[in-house]
Amino acid sequence: MIYIATFFSHFGAMHCKKLCDQAGMPARMMPVPRKLSSSCGTCVRIEAPDAEMIPRTEETEQIALEQADGYRILYSYF
Amino acid sequence: MSKEKWYIILAGLIIGVIASVLVLLGNPANMGFCIACFIRDTAGSLGLHKAAAVQYVRPEIIGIVLGSFLLSLAKKEFSPRGGSSPMTRLILGFFAMIGCLMFLGCPFRMILRLAGGDLNAILGLVGFAAGIGCGILYLKRGYSLKRTYRLPASEGAAFPATTVALLVILLAVPSLLIFSEAGAGPGAKHAAVWISLLAGLIVGALAQRTRLCMVGGIRDAILFKEFKLLLGFVAIFLAALVTNLILTATTDGTYFKLAFEGQAVAHMDGLWNALGMLLVGFACVLLGGCPLRQLVLAGEGNSDSAITVIGLLLGAAFAHNFGLASSAKGPTDAGKIAVIIGLVIVIIIGECNIRSNRKKG
Repeated sequence: MIYIATFFSHFGAMHCKKLCDQAGMPARMMPVPRKLSSSCGTCVRIEAPDAEMIPRTEETEQIALEQADGYRILYSYF
Repeated sequence: MSKEKWYIILAGLIIGVIASVLVLLGNPANMGFCIACFIRDTAGSLGLHKAAAVQYVRPEIIGIVLGSFLLSLAKKEFSPRGGSSPMTRLILGFFAMIGCLMFLGCPFRMILRLAGGDLNAILGLVGFAAGIGCGILYLKRGYSLKRTYRLPASEGAAFPATTVALLVILLAVPSLLIFSEAGAGPGAKHAAVWISLLAGLIVGALAQRTRLCMVGGIRDAILFKEFKLLLGFVAIFLAALVTNLILTATTDGTYFKLAFEGQAVAHMDGLWNALGMLLVGFACVLLGGCPLRQLVLAGEGNSDSAITVIGLLLGAAFAHNFGLASSAKGPTDAGKIAVIIGLVIVIIIGECNIRSNRKKG
């Protein structure tokens, strides 16, 4: 499954990417897709078997599942 | 090409045409839009500085905030939030304005100056890109203004409401404001209020939908090789350039003049044009967006961005009260010192921020 995690800051995205790397989950940083947010920050695209495995910190704003027709929000602070 | 990219290009084309047409309808040359100059003019009109040449409440600023506010409400994207290092943002906004007024324009006007043939803006663009590069180095080293928090709707609506109050004063009690007299300078040149307001509303709405940001465009291109946001500004440049050429060919005015010399509201000191915009690019990466983007985010309910706009307003007032702003004659000594101080303070903010994050981490 592909997940997109968005953050309150670029630092939050860097931290998440580092944790994913340490856990052996393929992850890359990229600009936040417009469909997910009106913010223009940085998100992390993560390949993970389960959303629960995605590291959450106080910087995590949103976690969404990537689908063929868009995204399904699994967690959102706002 | 994705639909989103086409939307951004279309928005950029519309904004570029609007910017040039605003000059035809009365705005200063190459200044259909300039967030820094317009906030500076508004500061003057409110009596925050006494530079008689630049005093006018610019309805474009009000329109951008309200365009973003109304569209974000309609699209359920209005999101009151804040609490992310407000004082740091205020200071960064202040010095971003000092840099803008050294160059005589924000990143938006830099593009419009290029589209008007002002070659001095090339030096500004070089400095701006270098400043963004500096900011990216800090992002990669762990710079962060920390997270935002959910706020009450009233807090998110306070800034848009303030702009409405300003509009009411402009329309109903203009005697409370100060206006540049005819011929006094750029502040005296403007399109009709309702045209400026409409232009601002359209640009604010388009920028909200597309997330147009000059800083974000270059930042994403360097960080991720993602050119989506940058396409919008290329589109603004091309649309404004073509419109300027058409206007020059079909009217009595000159809207395009390829030269360093004789450009309106500009000076020819290349070093300080570049250093001014270096400060702008650096500060704006640390802020997370250019002055246009800060207005749009403030309209979406982001009180951190509203604080940044207040910082820009304070910077404009200080720049004119203490002789820091450049003029067509060139930069002032005080302005040069202020830009150097600004660069030092932005570096100190970046270093202190990274150190505090490392201690926490």
